[in-house]
Amino acid sequence: MTRPTNRRDFLRDLGIGSAALPFFLNLPSLGFANQGGRKKRLVIMFSPNGVVPSNFWPDQVGREFALKESLKPLEPFKDRMLTLHGVCDKVKGDGDNHMRGIGCLLTGVELLPGNVQGGSDTPAGWANGRSIDQEIRVRNQAVEATKTRFGSLEFGVMVPDHADTWTRMVYSGPNKPIAPIDDPYQMFAKLYGRTKDRESLKSVLDDIQDDLKVLGARVSSADRQLIDEHATFVREMEQELKSADGSLGHAVPELEKGVKDQNDNMPKVSRMQIDLMVNSFVADFARVATLQYTNSVGGARMRWIGVDEGHHELSHHPDSDEKSKEKLTKINKWFCEQLAYLAKRLAETPEPGGPGSLLDNTTIVWTNELGKGNSHTLDNIPFVMVGNGLDFQMGQALKFPKVSHNRLLLSLAHGMGHELERFGNPNFCAEGPLTGLS
Amino acid sequence: MQTPARSRPVRHDRMALAMTLAFAGLAPATSSPAADSVATSGESVYKAKCVSCHGASGEGSKEYDRPLVGDKSPKQLARYIERTMPEDDPGTCVGEDAKLVAGYLHDAFYSKAARARINPPRVELARLTVRQYRNAVADVIGSFHDWGKFDGSVQGLRGQYYKSRRMRDGERVIDRVDPVLNFNFGLGGPDGSPDKFDPKEFSASWDGSVLAPETGEYEFTVRTENSIKFYLNGANQPFIDAWVKSGTETEFRGSMFLLAGQAYPLRLEYSKSKQGVNDSKEKKEKRPLEKGSIALEWKLPHRPNEVIPARYLSPKATTEKFAPSTPFPPDDRSVGYERGSSVSKEWDQATTEGALEVADYVAGHLKELAGAPAEGAERAIKVREFGLKFAERAFRRPLSATDKNKYVYRQFARGGDAETAVKRVILLVLKSPRFLYREVETLDGYDVAARLSFGLWDAPPDSALLEAAAKGWLNQPGVVLEHAWRMVDDPRSKAKLGEFFHQWLRVEHVPDLAKDHSLYPGFDPLVASDLRTSLDLFLDDVLWGEKPDYRRLFLEDSVYLNGRLAAVYGADLPADAPFTRVKIDANERAGLLTHPYLLANFAYTATSSPIHRGVFIARSVLGRALRPPPIAVSPLAPDLHAGLSTRERVTLQTSPNSCVSCHGMINPLGFGLEKFDAIGRFRSEEKGKSVDATGSYDPPSGDLVPYEGARQLAETLARSEEAHTAFVEQLFHNTIHQPIRAFGPDLSPMLRRSFAAHDFNVRSLLVEIVAASATPKSRRDPDAAFPSRPFAQER
Repeated sequence: MTRPTNRRDFLRDLGIGSAALPFFLNLPSLGFANQGGRKKRLVIMFSPNGVVPSNFWPDQVGREFALKESLKPLEPFKDRMLTLHGVCDKVKGDGDNHMRGIGCLLTGVELLPGNVQGGSDTPAGWANGRSIDQEIRVRNQAVEATKTRFGSLEFGVMVPDHADTWTRMVYSGPNKPIAPIDDPYQMFAKLYGRTKDRESLKSVLDDIQDDLKVLGARVSSADRQLIDEHATFVREMEQELKSADGSLGHAVPELEKGVKDQNDNMPKVSRMQIDLMVNSFVADFARVATLQYTNSVGGARMRWIGVDEGHHELSHHPDSDEKSKEKLTKINKWFCEQLAYLAKRLAETPEPGGPGSLLDNTTIVWTNELGKGNSHTLDNIPFVMVGNGLDFQMGQALKFPKVSHNRLLLSLAHGMGHELERFGNPNFCAEGPLTGLS
Repeated sequence: MQTPARSRPVRHDRMALAMTLAFAGLAPATSSPAADSVATSGESVYKAKCVSCHGASGEGSKEYDRPLVGDKSPKQLARYIERTMPEDDPGTCVGEDAKLVAGYLHDAFYSKAARARINPPRVELARLTVRQYRNAVADVIGSFHDWGKFDGSVQGLRGQYYKSRRMRDGERVIDRVDPVLNFNFGLGGPDGSPDKFDPKEFSASWDGSVLAPETGEYEFTVRTENSIKFYLNGANQPFIDAWVKSGTETEFRGSMFLLAGQAYPLRLEYSKSKQGVNDSKEKKEKRPLEKGSIALEWKLPHRPNEVIPARYLSPKATTEKFAPSTPFPPDDRSVGYERGSSVSKEWDQATTEGALEVADYVAGHLKELAGAPAEGAERAIKVREFGLKFAERAFRRPLSATDKNKYVYRQFARGGDAETAVKRVILLVLKSPRFLYREVETLDGYDVAARLSFGLWDAPPDSALLEAAAKGWLNQPGVVLEHAWRMVDDPRSKAKLGEFFHQWLRVEHVPDLAKDHSLYPGFDPLVASDLRTSLDLFLDDVLWGEKPDYRRLFLEDSVYLNGRLAAVYGADLPADAPFTRVKIDANERAGLLTHPYLLANFAYTATSSPIHRGVFIARSVLGRALRPPPIAVSPLAPDLHAGLSTRERVTLQTSPNSCVSCHGMINPLGFGLEKFDAIGRFRSEEKGKSVDATGSYDPPSGDLVPYEGARQLAETLARSEEAHTAFVEQLFHNTIHQPIRAFGPDLSPMLRRSFAAHDFNVRSLLVEIVAASATPKSRRDPDAAFPSRPFAQER
């Protein structure tokens, strides 16, 4: 987790170095230059520690399928969702399965050797490549039609405050993990800080002009020219501030105050983050987003659904432990509810400047670092999609014959209009994007 | 420059004439009997022979559009006129005519004094320069912390070494001060003590602060095969986080904009252990032993990487500083010094960005700065109190009741949370001209305080000054002087004086000092950087040592060398010797003029350049204004004139009449340094011929002074009144950022006299300059030299 974004981050987010100083007043034009075509969006949502497969995967294949307990919250979206069984993370190398599970999940490439020791296997460092969301972001930002203010936004919920292989999923490049922002207030400041600052600035301009008048009256006529010139710039700024009004597309949201970064506030923080994400899509701040719940091996205690034990600890219990299975199913159902809430918000929100809803142009991918918690398998990683952004054939339960997950990453890129031939370790890409999705 | 004694008897008459001319525009002078007797003949010569090209008041004409202004003395002008004027018929204005016309035009409009009389310079309204702006916001915020100054009494960082991966007191084995951070532990532990440390698992931390000698972007590099976290200016978030070792990277970099004279806290944590799940004993035994090392380096603006030298490190931590990084357009330097004389849209936008940067920082540090609790009614009250103090400190004077209402209370009454309200206060205050502009010349106590602090530090007044202003003490010249003496020892004064010297010696102009590799194979970027360090050490030694005598700059017979420089310049030092003062042959070298950095700087890549060296002496040391060459000239290529020495080649190239006006003065100054090659090594021969290092100095009055070699040249310049005046005026301009003549025609000669009377003490001069600028004319005694610091306090 990082501290509040500073000005450098702000400039970097704009994709402009300090050499070409952008004036913040000009931001709206930067964000709204490309509102013509369809805005395809991709959201990747992460929850940890695998699932209980028997309570997760539909028994059927194809369009006629029944949702199991873990996925029940998706009932209203059944015709616009996909389950993808049989997608496996085949990337090997250093690090234990939890580390590789999250580190290779979106990068499709090995971890570098390093000094972070897991519960088994060799120690490892960071992933040796960029993650697919960032790959798409870079592509989007390079093309005028898909360029947005931030390109991508990295949301988190209850991500531990230390940087290691287990807490980072998104990479801008080899050895370059990106920390998710798990504080909604910090995310708010990133998204709307400048809008509020513009309002503040506008409110003090008259006083500044008064001060200039007072000073102008005290100095000689030769010096007054300098003051007059200065006053002109202040007037010009006032005009620019006025013309920037209303460019956001929606009112600046009000966040509930004082929600602390604590385990029991997880449901609240989750909603706040999802609401901010939906708003940021309305304002077209970004077309790629990730939403990371806790971390690989995350130990949230979901007391609000009656589970007192930590998530990771529970996930190690054997299949014979029915009580634990029930709790794990509850936990995954709670995550699924978050997914459903996001889908619902997107479905209810009209697409600005186009037909339909945000969900018509957004695909959410829900995933996990493991297939199953107590076996630590990287086979059958739970991939579930909701929404129509990538134009896949939705409303199906799909089964694949143990395909490499790199192919799915390729499918996501292709769906977003970025026709990569390989991504991550090329050995897992030979067969190209998954077939049968679109 | 003219000596006052000589010109005084005639000055009144001439001034009367000049005034008449100025008021009457181009009308012919009325027949004032007083003027007739002395000046009419000079004027009539001018009208007969000069006016058609130079215009009635030297303003120029269509044929010749340059105004006739400059800094030659009447004597030098007369000589120049005799030789070259009128251009179409030289040699027809000689002898008494030349003298008369030179005297006339010199005093009527040519000289600095005449120009000051015709168009009197004034203290212009100025905004804060960029440097002042940055220091002002940093100091205003810094005033809410315990102001932590750099404590250089012990050099280095506090190093603590632990025998496990946990940095706890119980695990600590070594606690000491490490002068620099550059350790190779190899396969062992620190200090090679495997009995105390497990070479597979130990850790260390270094704490203290780092002093920024210059303002600019610093690049820090930590080199290690192991894990590090580097905290710089803030303990919340690592500035460089390489705690996860990953892949083969061993260099970790980060950049930060730092302000000259400020100390920033730092902490470096190091671990040669694994993290995550602890190894079992047998697993650890199986793990191969890896190398360990750590180095902390920085790269100053325009310098190569180097391990941070001990003199910039202190084991005492200071408080976190606000380090503003908003880019600003550069200040105007067209008159030779930076000044805030103009505004632009870009600048206005930068002040908005800058205000936002401060507002963001404050909103994020309300606990530390305002003592505001995280919530509750107390929070708004504390933050509002902060707002009042912030406005007061930014405006550098107390707030009236109306001010408090306008800048603070009303902003809080507008609603929103405390952060939003305090941000409004900051935006209003930092965008207000009351913050952005320097004091207008009324000079009450608070203005005097601001003059002093911006003069010495380029920063706003500290609490001691504000207190003195509040008590009304700063209308006493003695108190003003006392404060100036107190403030001159602050690192910020050192930084500002250092920046002046870099400007004076043209150090900033040449960021890299590359030389022809085949001719000077030993001269690499590290040597160039060492030379720069050597120069700074020399300046430090003279300016901040026991005897800050300006003449020592020219006459010292020592130079700072380290092992690397000694090898290139032929001194007897071990290869790894740190910088030490080395005696030089006083017949060959003398002070700054022969410092190899300057000699290499004022030289081409392969050959010396008497012109660059002469121009440096003319412009910086003697303060002479030089016009650019009339035509763009590239130097004659040495290989086309294989038989000629550098001196002969330069003489050949600058022999045309159009060059003589300037090169007649430049070349004889630069030739004195011909015994030094393009990297500043001594040579007695060039191309097999012995080097001719004779030259001459043409003072404004009196006869030409011939000399031979660097030492005689240095002695000549150290004695020169012209050079003393030039130094006084340049230091004044770079310090005060206003024309010295705006403070009256007498200030410059008065300061020069005082400078001479106080053994050319540079610190004393700086104090007097700043005190004079901070004293209204009415309170200044024009005849007395400034009272010096009481001897009891002289350092």
